Amino acid sequence: MQLSRLVALVGAGIAALVATAAPARAEVVTFDTTHTLFHESPTRTKMTVYTPGADLEVAPTDWLKIRAGWEADVVSGASIAVKAGPAYQNTHPGADVVTAASVHDLRNMARGGFTLKKENVELTGGYAYSTENDYKSNSFNVAARTDTYEHNSQFEISYARNFDRVCDRVQSANDAPARWRALEDSNGCFTKSNPLRTTRDIGVDGFQGTWSQAWTPIFVTQLVYTAQVNSGFQSSPYRSVILGEGLKAQEHEPENRAREALAVRGNLFLKPIKAAARLGVRGYYDTWDVRSLTVEAEFEKYLGESLRVMARGRYYKQSGALFWSDDYTGGDRPLGPKGQYWTGDRELSPFSSWLVGARVMYTAQAKNGRILGIMESFRAGLSGDMLVLSYDEFTLGGQPIGNARAYILGITVSALF
Amino acid sequence: MIPVRMICIVIAASTFGCVTVKPQERAVLADPVMQFEGDPHAAAQLRHALENREGAYGGSSAVGGGCGCN
Repeated sequence: MQLSRLVALVGAGIAALVATAAPARAEVVTFDTTHTLFHESPTRTKMTVYTPGADLEVAPTDWLKIRAGWEADVVSGASIAVKAGPAYQNTHPGADVVTAASVHDLRNMARGGFTLKKENVELTGGYAYSTENDYKSNSFNVAARTDTYEHNSQFEISYARNFDRVCDRVQSANDAPARWRALEDSNGCFTKSNPLRTTRDIGVDGFQGTWSQAWTPIFVTQLVYTAQVNSGFQSSPYRSVILGEGLKAQEHEPENRAREALAVRGNLFLKPIKAAARLGVRGYYDTWDVRSLTVEAEFEKYLGESLRVMARGRYYKQSGALFWSDDYTGGDRPLGPKGQYWTGDRELSPFSSWLVGARVMYTAQAKNGRILGIMESFRAGLSGDMLVLSYDEFTLGGQPIGNARAYILGITVSALF
Repeated sequence: MIPVRMICIVIAASTFGCVTVKPQERAVLADPVMQFEGDPHAAAQLRHALENREGAYGGSSAVGGGCGCN
């Protein structure tokens, strides 16, 4: 039912694009397809995610662009279902206090939008609907952008609102959160077939302001401020945390989270070697007291007119959430209980990561006529990255996470007709 | 408090930052390598993979609400 709704949405979007484009004479059509394969296999877990996507954009006039697209996540692997720490493991040396469960999921997302342009102002609106076995999302976004100072300064503000729902297990009305049980599986989610399934709301309000500035003919900068407020059920419904002797409870995170990020990046063209050097720094803070710093660097160089290669590096470091503990049952600090909330999420623990990668991009522009008789331009890219994570506190029953590295392969093809 | 500070910084910086690069000098700035997100779809997918493994969010060039993914 949901899949047919999604297919209908994508079909309607493409039909609208074709219908809009057909009578126009000077329309420009852009087709993009991007595929990403992510694989990691650290201690006790593994995850493979294949993300295909395709987008079509039509500009029937010089003041209007319409786009529609589709993206999916095909997920398979295993994740931690019950989390315990070293203190509990020490008192139960013979028992395996951490369990993993297999994960198979498919997320489909249909998206569409439009951009109106008049002189130096662009207004954009968009919508995305995504569905998976245990999660549904409706996302709206609007943005306004203007160029000033002879196109040397660009300002953009945007707002996005998500209305999401996540499947959860029905809990006993008399139980406190420390007695809540985790969702066993997604069977019966978003249907009325299973009386032990319910849905919980998640709202996401996001605001962003961006200032891009050309300072010289070879140097540009960008300043981005993002604020986001998440409200609703933000835990993993499947994950349990051991809180004490015989006490295993569904992960319980606060229902509200305000997040802020400020990023600044610069891009310098190095004329003598026909290359660009990019550097970016981002600071982040949220009301769960997660603070992080990200430093990114890219170096991209032309090899001839059509081929360019890029090398990139990224370093990320974050503190843990205020209520993060590797073991809520006790032990010396930083172990022990942390108030009314608990989580087994490694993303909320203190850790650092670094990423290195490279990309090759081939671009062809039509010079006399069109490429293969139909294309104005064509672009194809291939990228590979390695992500290495280092967890300061997160363990599985006292066992540190080993082999915490992920490999990311990306392919992108774009054609302008 | 921080948004008000941010707005002040942007206004002050843009006042000093209106250095004009003349139209005939913009050839390099129009080059794909001078775009911060020259391949937005691929960048979005990489960002999606990273954000699902990190506590942080935001600061990219992209417009969107992200997700409440858990």
